[in-house]
Amino acid sequence: MTAPVLQTEGLSMVFPAQNAHGGHKALDAVDLTLHPGRALALVGESGSGKSTCAKLLTHMLRPTSGRILFQNRDVTGLSGRRALLDYRRVVQMVFQDPFAALNPAHTVAHHLARPLALHRPDLDRAGRDAEARALLTQVELDAEALLHRFPHELSGGQRQRVNLARALAVNPAVIIADEPTSMLDVSIRLSVLDTLQRLKAERGIALLYITHDIATARYVAEETAVLFRGRVVESGPTGAVIDSPRHPYTRLLLSAVPDAGRPFDTGGSLIGRADAVRRLSEGPGNLVYVGPGHKARTVDERVAA
Amino acid sequence: MSAPLPPPSPLPQPLLQVRGLTVDYATPHGATRAVDGVSFDLGAGEVMGLAGESGSGKSTLAFAIARLHRPPAHITGGSVTLAGTDVLALTPKDLRQWRWREVSVVLQSAMNALNPVLRVSDQFRDMFRAHGITHKAEVAERSADLLRLVGISPDRLRDHPHQLSGGMRQRLVIALALALKPKLVIMDEPTTALDVVVQREILEQVADLRRRLGFSVLFITHDLALMSQFCDRVGVMLRGRLVELTTPAAIARGAGHPYTRHLWDSIPPLHPAAPVRAQPDLVMP
Repeated sequence: MTAPVLQTEGLSMVFPAQNAHGGHKALDAVDLTLHPGRALALVGESGSGKSTCAKLLTHMLRPTSGRILFQNRDVTGLSGRRALLDYRRVVQMVFQDPFAALNPAHTVAHHLARPLALHRPDLDRAGRDAEARALLTQVELDAEALLHRFPHELSGGQRQRVNLARALAVNPAVIIADEPTSMLDVSIRLSVLDTLQRLKAERGIALLYITHDIATARYVAEETAVLFRGRVVESGPTGAVIDSPRHPYTRLLLSAVPDAGRPFDTGGSLIGRADAVRRLSEGPGNLVYVGPGHKARTVDERVAA
Repeated sequence: MSAPLPPPSPLPQPLLQVRGLTVDYATPHGATRAVDGVSFDLGAGEVMGLAGESGSGKSTLAFAIARLHRPPAHITGGSVTLAGTDVLALTPKDLRQWRWREVSVVLQSAMNALNPVLRVSDQFRDMFRAHGITHKAEVAERSADLLRLVGISPDRLRDHPHQLSGGMRQRLVIALALALKPKLVIMDEPTTALDVVVQREILEQVADLRRRLGFSVLFITHDLALMSQFCDRVGVMLRGRLVELTTPAAIARGAGHPYTRHLWDSIPPLHPAAPVRAQPDLVMP
């Protein structure tokens, strides 16, 4: 495997408490590794710390402890406008809401020309125009038809593809996609994920795919890490995590995924079981290897009782 | 293509009969048809799903059945009959009593359905008062019972909505919706904003309450997989038309309208037998 491009070591984030007691530990000693041309799915429920993780990796927040390494260089304390600009060019973000992420007053062409003008001084106006068309083609959009359209004239899927093209415009090494398809209609989700999957392989981009939907992880990500209340409870090759989950929370999550054609009564009720698993998963435990590259956090059965 | 006829209803006397219901939106460029001649029956105690993508008319249809549609939406044809009542003939005064006693609605965003400055107890008090139930001890007792029904401790009556988790808020809204023992509960994407585990917990609870209390559910979602697990029958909407009305088992067997197949095949299976590729866009004839 190639050398990692982005790594975290013991990444932790404590948000100060609004009242007297302790503060809120949003992320607790998380180790993640992203490789060029590969994807890591970060799966968890709301409040598990997935978006905090994205904010730390893009330097929108400073971690309370732990390190972020970019190509083996410590970038945790990065400061200065120039250094941050350079870092944010190579680590790009695609957001959940394709409607909010585009400026309604500007055309698709403008959204692509701006990053090109900022980060590609080698290109003149004609060069930027040609590059914008090439980018739209790469994300499987009809450049001729869409370049001069406004966001409200596009479907949700088309908008999310424009966002992806905008992220690609600056030639990033890493793309962090935070729930990129959860606001799209079901029938187009897989095709957008397919595009992401193809681009990361073709362009050697390291992808962090953040989602609450573990079923989609398989379509994009070689590896999957499951977060619960700020801690990784299980991580490893996506197939191993989904097909032979070892942590009770991963199993709970998998049993709750809507499973087409299987009525609720088959497979047993989740009610009652869910709370016990949540208590168990919050208890003490260490990440240990359970298979090749596959780790799960140990649990203390006494906690659930 | 004409709308298919509904299959025979499973029960002799359906609770809800919708016939040729048509809803238009008035726009500056003329009327846009959002619901186009939809007909179906819903049996007493039955859970029926309505699936479809954004803009297919599923929410407009559900709102029209409860007479909750607002201009620019107008019902321009058809009939709705619930337990013998001609719903489209109800006066505004009748409607206020009819809603919640006969049909209640649970929406996607529980936070928007609750008043953020009122305690949980006051949300119940307001709802009971609107329907002429004002006796303090009775309101307190029924509120506590309803919370217990959905698995929330009555201690939470003193809390404000922001002190409850997202799942608890939605359970609270469901408790409010069941307060006057309606015959029909319309649920429009009730769990879409929630995590899958919480979603499953809530829907299992609704299924259990339905068995015990006997109400019918019209369940609207874009998630056909979820619908196939929770509903007795499934309808699929496409551009205002009900193009499919069948059982989850029939869809799972591979039957159905091409659009239903397209939606079904878009569901990423958790344990695929073969590598799954995205479906090409389906161009409707």
